[in-house]
Amino acid sequence: MTTTAAVPTPQPTGRPLWRRLIGFNLLTAVALGVGGYYLGWFIGHQISAKSLAYQEKTSENDVALLVAYLFGVVGFLIGLGFANYPVSRLLGRPASLREKEEEGIGRYFGLCTDHKVVGMQYLIGIGLFFFIGGVNAMLIRTELLHSTPTFVGPGQYISLVGMHGTMMMGMMTSGILGPFANYFVPIMLGARRMAFPRIEALTFWLLMAAGFILTSTIFFGGFPTGWTGYEPLNDQAVMGMDSYIIFFALVGISMCLLGLNMMATIITMRAPGLTWSRLPIFVWSVLATAVLMVLAAPVLVATLTMAALDRTIDTSFFIPGGGGSSYLFENLFWFFGHPEVYILALPGFGIVLELLPVFTRKPLWGYRLAVSGMLGVTLLSFFVWQHHLFVSGINADLRPFYMLSTEIISIPTGFIFLCAMGTLWKARSSFSVPMLFCLAWVFNFLIGGLSGVFVSDTPSDTSTHGSFFTMAHFHYTIMGGLIFTFFAAIYYWVPKMTGLRFNERLAKLHFWLMFIAFNSTFLPLFAIGMMGQPRRVSQYAPNLHALNTWVSISAFVLGLSMLIFIANTVYSMIFVRLPVAMNPWRSKSIEWQIPTPVPVYNFEQVPVFDSDPYDYGTPIHVGGTRPEPAGA
Amino acid sequence: MSLFAKKLLAVSAAVLAIGALIALYVADWATSFPKEVAAAPAPANSGGASLTLETVAAVGGKYSPTHPSWVSYLVRTNNRWERTTDFTVPANSVVHVTIYQFDTPTGLRNPFLSQVQGTVGSATLDGKPFTTIPPEEASHTFAVPELGVFVPLAGVPEESKHPCEEAPCEPSTMDHRTITFTFRTGKKGRYRWQCFVPCGAGWYFGNGGPMQTLGYMDGFIDVV
Repeated sequence: MTTTAAVPTPQPTGRPLWRRLIGFNLLTAVALGVGGYYLGWFIGHQISAKSLAYQEKTSENDVALLVAYLFGVVGFLIGLGFANYPVSRLLGRPASLREKEEEGIGRYFGLCTDHKVVGMQYLIGIGLFFFIGGVNAMLIRTELLHSTPTFVGPGQYISLVGMHGTMMMGMMTSGILGPFANYFVPIMLGARRMAFPRIEALTFWLLMAAGFILTSTIFFGGFPTGWTGYEPLNDQAVMGMDSYIIFFALVGISMCLLGLNMMATIITMRAPGLTWSRLPIFVWSVLATAVLMVLAAPVLVATLTMAALDRTIDTSFFIPGGGGSSYLFENLFWFFGHPEVYILALPGFGIVLELLPVFTRKPLWGYRLAVSGMLGVTLLSFFVWQHHLFVSGINADLRPFYMLSTEIISIPTGFIFLCAMGTLWKARSSFSVPMLFCLAWVFNFLIGGLSGVFVSDTPSDTSTHGSFFTMAHFHYTIMGGLIFTFFAAIYYWVPKMTGLRFNERLAKLHFWLMFIAFNSTFLPLFAIGMMGQPRRVSQYAPNLHALNTWVSISAFVLGLSMLIFIANTVYSMIFVRLPVAMNPWRSKSIEWQIPTPVPVYNFEQVPVFDSDPYDYGTPIHVGGTRPEPAGA
Repeated sequence: MSLFAKKLLAVSAAVLAIGALIALYVADWATSFPKEVAAAPAPANSGGASLTLETVAAVGGKYSPTHPSWVSYLVRTNNRWERTTDFTVPANSVVHVTIYQFDTPTGLRNPFLSQVQGTVGSATLDGKPFTTIPPEEASHTFAVPELGVFVPLAGVPEESKHPCEEAPCEPSTMDHRTITFTFRTGKKGRYRWQCFVPCGAGWYFGNGGPMQTLGYMDGFIDVV
């Protein structure tokens, strides 16, 4: 990579102090959000007449709650300042990126169009909801210490399971694209910003509003459906179900916008010389994920809109009694839901393949094969969804097709595995913490993939469907695949984002505890599932008590490992604050060649690329130093 | 410690305090079970324990401020009705159950459940022994599947003159059906019981609301 003069750097201008103090920020957003909520609640009660038999008999008012949530979200966004730009344009004022000009910590608590600020916001915001989802998991495992409902009630248990699953699947959809793609993709492309900076900020704040709404479900009785929201349970459920519907609809909108923004940025904003074959593999994975998001998420939003109409104004899209079909919901949900699995997995693939060359000091083996694998997964992921319905009324003649298509998707996934193995082959690796997490991904995803064969085959799926076996399988792929790579990315890139290094000893303790506890938690669940314990039910056969106790204790150790990570973050980022070297990993990727902290407009001069970032074996020309210890 | 670190610590402390309050609320919500009510000792000549229950079409604001219109079971304890569905009974014993049924018929989906099963001796309906009722006349059931106990509860006719609209319903003044039966508890454990009639009025298929929420149409029998 070389740099040449191209576009002059725009000079930010400051805003008056009074505007920063009383301007649009998180405080205003919360105030307008609460105001909007109560306004919507009032209006909802006016427009939903008591003549609706459902509301008269059940003391529930879904119309009021849905309108309240929508008005609350609109108020929240207006409070953040999202209406300012369109209004000022309506008034004929010139276009600007004024939200980008703010400096200081205040910019993290409001609308900011700097992609690096949005990346940091995502990291903290998603981390918060990841923590809440994790606490739910701890409560679930506490309940499962007993074979009968003892700690939490059955209704609360299924709500906790639903909140855990929905929170993790919804929020962690943007777990890597949100923080790391927003922060690093423009830099990796040699761009100064995202294609649509305000939309980028909008995706984050929509997600935060969604997370809060989902958490609020406990005020309305929770929801009994798990993360899938299946009909007819969905329609029968109390008002807490509305929280689920609005949550996932907002997540879907956020995903769709995030995907569009990423696609537009990657396709149109690459610097000179950055051809498709020089694109970092992480960017390819982001592009593939973005395509999935754009195509899958609208289906989810539409489906949930139909479910909301069924619940409020007595349409019957999914109500068999009114001519609808609950099976239709299941189909539409999984048309989104299975690509969603790859939306979670693909960025993880990208991170592993991006990091392995750095720590093996070898070029990425099979770059084109890896890209074709990612694109293959993207394409095929839309042709497998009915394997979730093998025992739910699928036309028997369709089973072989979906069984085959599901097994075929293991081929492009295998490409990615093969590229990882090829890169590791005969490498003189350094086992830094990010590398350890990548290697853990190899182990975990292998088990997840092999167990996937059993749930993709109709005969074996008949006995494993809906059991803890399936639950163990998808935790191996999603937690073992996504969350481990999420932490790899944190240990690898957060030093760049903050300019500070993690404590290495605590980081390694976090890794080993997490890796061992993760396997100790989820490996026995395969056996528990095979022995017949169903998902989402707090009561189980007494002969499974010992295994469940083992799993629960392992899960608590897994939770402890997360606390060690939090302690390390607080200790390293707040108390010790040791600065990190400019390029501690000796990476050849462009983000490590620019100053830390990264300037507002990223580059003084737009770079020109003349090679890919994986040509290890030739000396690097900027900022190269000796490798630093793991976790530094 | 730098000024930045102090500020961050202050903010973190505030966030932690709010988080702790939220956690307390969640813990309270998650761990809320219906109050446990111990079965009363049965009359000396019959042995075991006795439970007196009633089923009402609407539980009323006094017993459920958030869901006054929900159908529910109530239990008689200390000479008053309480809304709870968690009962404690002795192990290896018999439990004599009396249910005052004030609701109108809804009908069973599964006619098989209209038969009396798993009781000790005969069940009675308004003082007469019975073994089954027409499925369409069932208003509710009292069923403990793990103990094999299924008892259908016949509904009060729609045209009754003194229906009880809302709990508490007094057997002395309002139209009702009286069902009695006895079952054996067996070994210690926690057993789920529930109504099998889809009686959640207003929800499609009748399985929402009170049928999904502990404390209305289902609960636990703790055999101790």
